[in-house]
Amino acid sequence: MAGLELLSDQGYRIDGRRAGELRKIQARMGVFAQADGSAYIEQGNTKALAVVYGPHEIRGSRSRALPDRALVNCQYSSATFSTGERKRRPHGDRKSCEMGLQLRQTFEAAILTQLHPRSQIDIYVQVLQADGGTYAACVNAATLAVMDAGIPMRDFVCACSAGFVDGTALSDLSHVEEAAGGPQLALALLPASGQIALLEMDSRLHEDHLEQVLEAAAQAARDVHTLLDRVVRQHVQEASILLGD
Amino acid sequence: MKSFKHGTWMHRGLALRQYNKLRTLLKDARHDCVLFANEFQQHCYLPREKGEAMEKWQTRSIYNSAVWYYHHCGDRMPIVMVTEDEEAIQQYGSETEGVFVISFKNYLDNFWPDLKAAHELCDSILQSRRERESESQETHGKEYPEHLPLEVLEAGIKSGRYIQGILNVNKHRAQIEAFVRLQGASSKDSDLLSDILIHGTKARNRSIHGDVVVVELLPKNEWKGRTAALCENDSEDKASGESPSEPMPTGRVVGILQKNWRDYVVTFPSKEEVQSQGKNAQKILVTPWDYRIPKIRISTQQAEALQDFRVVVRIDSWETTSVYPNGHFVRVLGRIGDLEGEIATILVENSISVVPFSEAQMCEMPVNTPENPWKVSPKEERERKDLRNTHLVFSIDPKGCEDVDDTLSVRTLNNGNLELGVHIADVTHFVAPNSYIDIEARTRATTYYLADRRYDMLPSILSADLCSLLGGVDRYAVSVMWELDKTSYEIKKVWYGRTIIRSAYKLFYEAAQELLDGNFSIVDDIPEFKALEEQSRQAKLEELVWAIGKLTDIARHIRAKRDRCGALELEGVEVRVQLDDKKNIHDLIPKQPLEVHETVAECMILANHWVAKKIWESFPHQALLRQHPPPHQEFFSELRECAKAKGFFIDTRSNKTLADSLDSANDPSDPMVNKLLRSMATQAMSNALYFSTGSCAEEEFHHYGLALDKYTHFTSPIRRYSDIVVHRLLMAAISKDKKMEMKESLFSNKDLEELCRHINNRNRAAQHSQKQSTELFQCMYFKDRDPETEERCMADGVIYSIRTNGVLVFIPRFGIKGAAYLKNKDGLVISCGPEGSSEWKPGSLQRSQNKITSTTAGGQSVTFHLFDHVTVRISVQVLRCHSDTIRLEIISNKPYMTPNPELCHQSSLLLKSELVKEVTRSVEEAQLAQEVKGKVLQEEYQEFCQTKGRSLYTLLEEIRDLALLDVSDSYVM
Repeated sequence: MAGLELLSDQGYRIDGRRAGELRKIQARMGVFAQADGSAYIEQGNTKALAVVYGPHEIRGSRSRALPDRALVNCQYSSATFSTGERKRRPHGDRKSCEMGLQLRQTFEAAILTQLHPRSQIDIYVQVLQADGGTYAACVNAATLAVMDAGIPMRDFVCACSAGFVDGTALSDLSHVEEAAGGPQLALALLPASGQIALLEMDSRLHEDHLEQVLEAAAQAARDVHTLLDRVVRQHVQEASILLGD
Repeated sequence: MKSFKHGTWMHRGLALRQYNKLRTLLKDARHDCVLFANEFQQHCYLPREKGEAMEKWQTRSIYNSAVWYYHHCGDRMPIVMVTEDEEAIQQYGSETEGVFVISFKNYLDNFWPDLKAAHELCDSILQSRRERESESQETHGKEYPEHLPLEVLEAGIKSGRYIQGILNVNKHRAQIEAFVRLQGASSKDSDLLSDILIHGTKARNRSIHGDVVVVELLPKNEWKGRTAALCENDSEDKASGESPSEPMPTGRVVGILQKNWRDYVVTFPSKEEVQSQGKNAQKILVTPWDYRIPKIRISTQQAEALQDFRVVVRIDSWETTSVYPNGHFVRVLGRIGDLEGEIATILVENSISVVPFSEAQMCEMPVNTPENPWKVSPKEERERKDLRNTHLVFSIDPKGCEDVDDTLSVRTLNNGNLELGVHIADVTHFVAPNSYIDIEARTRATTYYLADRRYDMLPSILSADLCSLLGGVDRYAVSVMWELDKTSYEIKKVWYGRTIIRSAYKLFYEAAQELLDGNFSIVDDIPEFKALEEQSRQAKLEELVWAIGKLTDIARHIRAKRDRCGALELEGVEVRVQLDDKKNIHDLIPKQPLEVHETVAECMILANHWVAKKIWESFPHQALLRQHPPPHQEFFSELRECAKAKGFFIDTRSNKTLADSLDSANDPSDPMVNKLLRSMATQAMSNALYFSTGSCAEEEFHHYGLALDKYTHFTSPIRRYSDIVVHRLLMAAISKDKKMEMKESLFSNKDLEELCRHINNRNRAAQHSQKQSTELFQCMYFKDRDPETEERCMADGVIYSIRTNGVLVFIPRFGIKGAAYLKNKDGLVISCGPEGSSEWKPGSLQRSQNKITSTTAGGQSVTFHLFDHVTVRISVQVLRCHSDTIRLEIISNKPYMTPNPELCHQSSLLLKSELVKEVTRSVEEAQLAQEVKGKVLQEEYQEFCQTKGRSLYTLLEEIRDLALLDVSDSYVM
């Protein structure tokens, strides 16, 4: 029989949001002392932690060093307790490899890597609870962490997911909405310039609808930017007060 | 002010059906329902407490929302929360002042004490629920096997073990035979060609006509055949004696996927029958009007009061332990045999609801009163092409037609070419998408024409006034104009757009034909000419005659072109057009076929065709078109056999060959043969249907009957919703061409498909109701006549089909089709004396391909061939629970001779309209008789008071004026 009604006639989603509404975002920067930069973010029930080391000398084989820019190394992992089903996820499984690669692509586009030739920047992200939109949460957390580390970037990288149900684009999908199996799109945006750092979609979506979904995701990413910007400003203010004392 | 509130919670598994029902109710703006998502509202949300039951929490939340709403309204508006939960009523009933928690019964009693119907309905539902509860405790033996769970059914359908289809009960053998028409995917991969027979009610397993069922095939040795004998409804097991035809796939129902229960009209048993039912007088078996529906068990105390009425009931459930389904009483329609009651029955049975237009709907309508006349607005004047002074526009319609959809124009352009224009009423200008009136029109989908009345799709301010292209007034129109070559009439250019027109003449068909024939004496009948002086009159007349002549010429050309492609002509203009919708032989009665009919029809077909092309080009995936699929060849076999009996050959390979061979199959001595052959051809064809172009391949767009690659309905927006949709599509296409912003959003393919299904469905209901109402009138016409003595009950009939125990006869004079038995219930067969009169004698029947012979024990024999003319006697079988039926009896094997041959020639058919008039009159007379009686009594009581000053004559005259409008001659395309 028919599955869940993802969007009611009145325009409410299952968790009571409207189509273009984000989940509540809470974030903190500088959660670890020993790392160069760190951040923690909650998007609804999705929780992610990002840690940044660097830029530092290339570790391991020197041959990996790039002569003209820094090497960005991203690693993704998720906690055994992050999903409904408790499951050990060893390092280097397909999913985390892919996610790591995507994160790397995203941040190579955002970080001004040419300022640090022959060096390395490590970004480690861990998902503590996965309730949909893990990629977006990772990118947003990592952005904050990179900023916390003081690594120069072109702009914020803000990410958000979007889906498509009954002719309407839904932004920031929750786990239930993702599981329903509709098309799903992940977008990482540089909000100031409007440039797209990464755009990914695995499922089928009619060409006619793409623009609509893309616009919803972009708008959501811009909303995320506003929130992250506030978090950064607050953090800087607090830090300066501390320094001032 | 009304505002209904529901929590957003729902018991999913429990009642998805109820949930969906509620949702559709809610969607309909006419019900004034509002859904408030209380859980998503900051002040109404309450967290669920630990260990709190779901139900409890929900009730608490809803109550909390009610309290919040009360305060939100400034404590000034009392709020009512309706629940059946006794505990909640106890707990919250008096907690907050101004928020009432009461049960539904209580609510009705306190707030709507005058709504009698609602009270009765509520009582009957409560009672049937109580009954069911008490019943479920006592368990009987099972009458039916349980239905299989849904997962098993779905898996079974996928694996091919079960077959899914729609249950179709045989109307004539409702107890025994039902067929399952294969549906969707299952028909493709199974190698079954025919329908599946479901034999007996046990195998039917509680499914009701129209349900989507899942069927398991029985092993081959249990297959049964269908019976070919004629059979009456009341003789239940009679067919068992007959030898059935060859076995066909037979199955049994294992589950129901979708129940299609609707409201049913039923009749309560008469007093004697109630007493015989005896022991539990509370439960009464009522008989539905529709033969295909099983009897329904109703528990009510009103049984005796409802005896003589037609009553609406609803089915609630059908347990495995019960032979019949349980239901409850809903409302009373009217007395049995009463014209209004019977018409209401027909409407309910076809799910047609025709409440008057509501105030909210009428508020959207423009005003046109003598004090405040409607005018063309300057804005529209700027945007529309003004044809008022440049074009001679006129309409040709049946006499007395009120809703003029279409007008025509033709003129010569400066370059010598011709310009043909079809101007259609611009209904969409007045009916905004998704306005109340639009929603209402969409639900109605069409204007319903019954034999004696009609139910309009749009309010009369539009249908008979502002959208009706009447003569001499300014009206908005949507026009299609073609530029034609002056000699070859090839189409060079086409223009679509909104216009303003002023129709110069509102002609009727007969007048137009007279003008065309050069007979100008008719001019005096045309009101537009009356006021004119002799001089200008002559000039105007010439202009008009030229236009009609030219139009006819053009139409002939287009028609010839279409004929070359194989357009079918099945019985005159009227019927060829009707072929789209209808297969009813009543409508094969041609009215004096005039060439003007064809001219107008041809122009409309041309406009429809060009609009179809246009909207399809602009919106290839979401245009509404009309298709007429080519018929299955096997359905033509009966036609071919019949034609062979008369020595004709019908080639059915394509529409072209069929059209040609039907034309040649003409028996000069008997014109009925050709008519019947054509009607058989119509029978063999499938119905034309609306569809959305996104849902099927381009090759399937073809219209078989009209021989056009694309066709739609554009020309009657006043009485068809499909045309309104097409108008909107055309307007969107035009603005798309002009690169303008599209004002309104169009239906997506999926929505349009859904809409098409709805419209097709409603059209079918409209046809059924029309047919049933005509039959009703036929029965009422013959009811009070003594068939033995009255002249008009005898008629000439033509045999058009032969069965094992009788023949099917068509009576051209009344347009009646029916069965006549050659073998009666006692097993006696018919025999005809030398002078032709018939009597019943013991004997036997022998049936061959196209004749049937009855041989009596005495050795006499009589043979009936196909297309033989016989004399039949018409009588009415009065049935209490169902509609009355016409019975035919062959009383002679010679054609019937009308005593007055001249009359027979002049009008061999009693027109339907006449019949309707007569019946309506007699009904009114009966009413009048009652009224007069009442009046006399009154006067006797008030011996010394004055009468009200109304003579019987004025009363009669008044009632005659009330005579219902005869609409049977407004043509249906």
